[in-house]
Amino acid sequence: MQRTGLFIERAGFLQRLNPLTKVTGALLLIGATFLLPAPLTGAALLGGVLLPLALASRVARRFFDVLLKTLLPVLISLALVQGLFFPTSDPTTIAVGPFLFRRAGLQFALDTGSRLLVVAGAPLILFQTTHPGTLVQALIQSGMPRSIGYILLVALQLIPAISERAVGVAEAQRARGLETEGNVLQRIRGVLPLVSPLIIGALVDAEERAMAIEARAFNAPGPKTWVRDIPDPPAERIARITMLAALGSMVVWRVMMFFFG
Amino acid sequence: MFEAQSGFNPLSAAMLDARMNDVSPHLAPIALRRVTFTYAGATEPALRDVTLTVPAGQICAVIGRAGAGKSTLCALCAGFVPHFFRGRLDGDAVVDGLSVATHPIAELVRHVALVGSNAFSQISGARFTVYDEVAFGLENLGVPRPEMIERVEWALQALGIDHLRDRSPYALSGGQQQRMVIAAALAMRPPVLALDEPTSQLDPPAMAELADVLRALSRQGITILVAEHRLEWVAEVAERVVALDRGAILADGAPAEVLTDPRLCECGIGWPRPTQMAARARAEGRWVPDRPLPITVADLAAGLCAVAPDQDAAHERDGAIRSTAVQPDGKNGSPRMTHAAEPIVSLEAVHFTYPTGVEALRGVSLTVQRGERIALVGRNGAGKSTLVRHLNGLLRPLRGRALVNGVDTRTTTVARCARHVGVVFQDVRNQLFARTVRDEIRFGPRNLGFSPEKVSALTEAAIDALDLRDVVDEHPYDLPHARRRLVAIAAVLAMDTTLLVLDEPTAGLDSASISLLVRLIDDLAARQRSVLVVSHDLDFCYEALDRVILMREGQIALDGRFANLDNTQMATLDSDVGLPIALRLRYVST
Repeated sequence: MQRTGLFIERAGFLQRLNPLTKVTGALLLIGATFLLPAPLTGAALLGGVLLPLALASRVARRFFDVLLKTLLPVLISLALVQGLFFPTSDPTTIAVGPFLFRRAGLQFALDTGSRLLVVAGAPLILFQTTHPGTLVQALIQSGMPRSIGYILLVALQLIPAISERAVGVAEAQRARGLETEGNVLQRIRGVLPLVSPLIIGALVDAEERAMAIEARAFNAPGPKTWVRDIPDPPAERIARITMLAALGSMVVWRVMMFFFG
Repeated sequence: MFEAQSGFNPLSAAMLDARMNDVSPHLAPIALRRVTFTYAGATEPALRDVTLTVPAGQICAVIGRAGAGKSTLCALCAGFVPHFFRGRLDGDAVVDGLSVATHPIAELVRHVALVGSNAFSQISGARFTVYDEVAFGLENLGVPRPEMIERVEWALQALGIDHLRDRSPYALSGGQQQRMVIAAALAMRPPVLALDEPTSQLDPPAMAELADVLRALSRQGITILVAEHRLEWVAEVAERVVALDRGAILADGAPAEVLTDPRLCECGIGWPRPTQMAARARAEGRWVPDRPLPITVADLAAGLCAVAPDQDAAHERDGAIRSTAVQPDGKNGSPRMTHAAEPIVSLEAVHFTYPTGVEALRGVSLTVQRGERIALVGRNGAGKSTLVRHLNGLLRPLRGRALVNGVDTRTTTVARCARHVGVVFQDVRNQLFARTVRDEIRFGPRNLGFSPEKVSALTEAAIDALDLRDVVDEHPYDLPHARRRLVAIAAVLAMDTTLLVLDEPTAGLDSASISLLVRLIDDLAARQRSVLVVSHDLDFCYEALDRVILMREGQIALDGRFANLDNTQMATLDSDVGLPIALRLRYVST
């Protein structure tokens, strides 16, 4: 399969798992991040669970690359704002150059930041190790309507296809003397010839594609089959039940703590 | 190429017997009786009183001008008319024993598969590889996995796309996509297969492969209805031809009868090229008078040999071909270019590599003089599209120079290059946007800053040149595909550039429209305008153009004139893209 979206084609631990197991695991991680009250829960989950999983799945470099590039601005602002302005009675400060950071603020930023990394990292590692087609197939096989699965997959594939078409439209209109660079007026004049073919083409394609999937028996009655088998061994089914039970227990525990703690 | 596979739906003995001529409509896979269909909102019927019985295993070709009703007939046989395209349906249409009026498409798909002409929009979008795309229909039909895998492998092999199995469907060329959607339909192994313009994006070798596949399917009992413009291909593959004219059946019978019927020429469908060439030979006394007109190249060659058995056959045949080839008056291998002026375009050792690392051009040098008519041919990926994009500055050389009217494209804009070089790309949907045909055509000359009077004059001249006067106030998207392409060509023609570049201009065009293009190119050359055509349609290239440039792996492998190609050059051309009929006969004879 070719690279699609975030998916990285590698042979590793998570790649061998059923997508539903990975989805359940991601949900458990996200839930645990918020439900477990201990300080630095996020850091523990990040270092103790996500990092080993990323290494075992041979996606660690890309995983942290994407994660940090996406969240680094948020983490830095979190550290700055909380470190400098966190309301606390603890007078302990840490000097960094001319700035005095409040220790409690930095601890809060570290705790919140690491939770944020887990919340973003769990789905990221899921998508980096699961082909979207396989994920949607697994979800459909577990009961999601096929039409919703189709819409998800078409959206994933059509966005790059429409981008390519946009390039084609721009080439065709520039070849007809349309100035796409220059002053604002010229750019405004260029909008209609650039956008119209894209919209009309998408509408025509949509009708023809609807016809095409009808011709490919999309709405044919009867049971469906799949050309690709997604293994789902008993051990994984047990693991999913266990993870869901753990998540449920944490929720119940937190609710009880809220009312009786 | 392939044999019947296990698991193939066998036809009943009665159905196979029905393949013979006197077939009962009750047993025929396609049985239409007095069918008339009018699209919702239309004033004229698209099909008029059509009665057609196609026996099992027959390859029945449907020919006709653009808008004659071919696509409607295919859609009717698959149930898309009237269930998807609404309208009024009169008469009886029965496919594989099911009335299309009373059975939904979801049920009919087990009996008939339809492949439309636009491959891109036939892609489901729900699968990420060619392999999975071909399997998509089988998954929906609930075919067991082992059988599904066997069928998918068979279809990939049959269409010659096995090596593309792991590619994204959207990463394929147009021709590859077309083969993939046909493979996806074949994998469903329906008793009836309806193909609408299946060769529109295929190169000659792929067309020959598709013909082999259809013959093999026919031998296995599958009934094939194929709507097609390319009459030479129809002549090679069809067992029966139905000619439609304005929705009604004009002629129906064996290919040798229908494709030589004079009424085809009268209504603008035309004859296959071998037939036209033989007719011209007969008019000039170089054809045995009692010998029927041929429809295939082989029969044409035999006929030309028969005319002078005691003479130097090769020389005679060559002479006959040169004089009978379908060429506009005044062409006949006499180029009209002048070399005194500065070339319109000059490429000097141009190298270009895409960001993906694909080295598309490797030291291409080329000049285009005024009045030249050039065919740019080559296999997919040879570098043709990249070269075309250097002719108007859309791409700029990484090494070497591209000069348009003497100006380096690196120092100017595409819009300025457009004053000298007009390009009509293959996918005309990227181009058309205006509300009327006239507005669409006016867009280009207005961009170039011409006076209103000149814009009007150029617009009206282009409308007449492409025979669009009757549709000037219509929306381009309300026209049939073929006329949309003519609108796109007119829109660039109206820019009055010194070089007109046409990318696959004959795709989906009928014979009359192709003749229109041939005349247009001749007229442009007479006015010292140059034309460069990128095309798989080698016969069109031979008829309309003088010079042929063959691209291979980013380099020019051959640059010569059709009239002067020697055997070595013809062998080079043949090995890459094949030869036009006239050259094929000449090459074989020598």
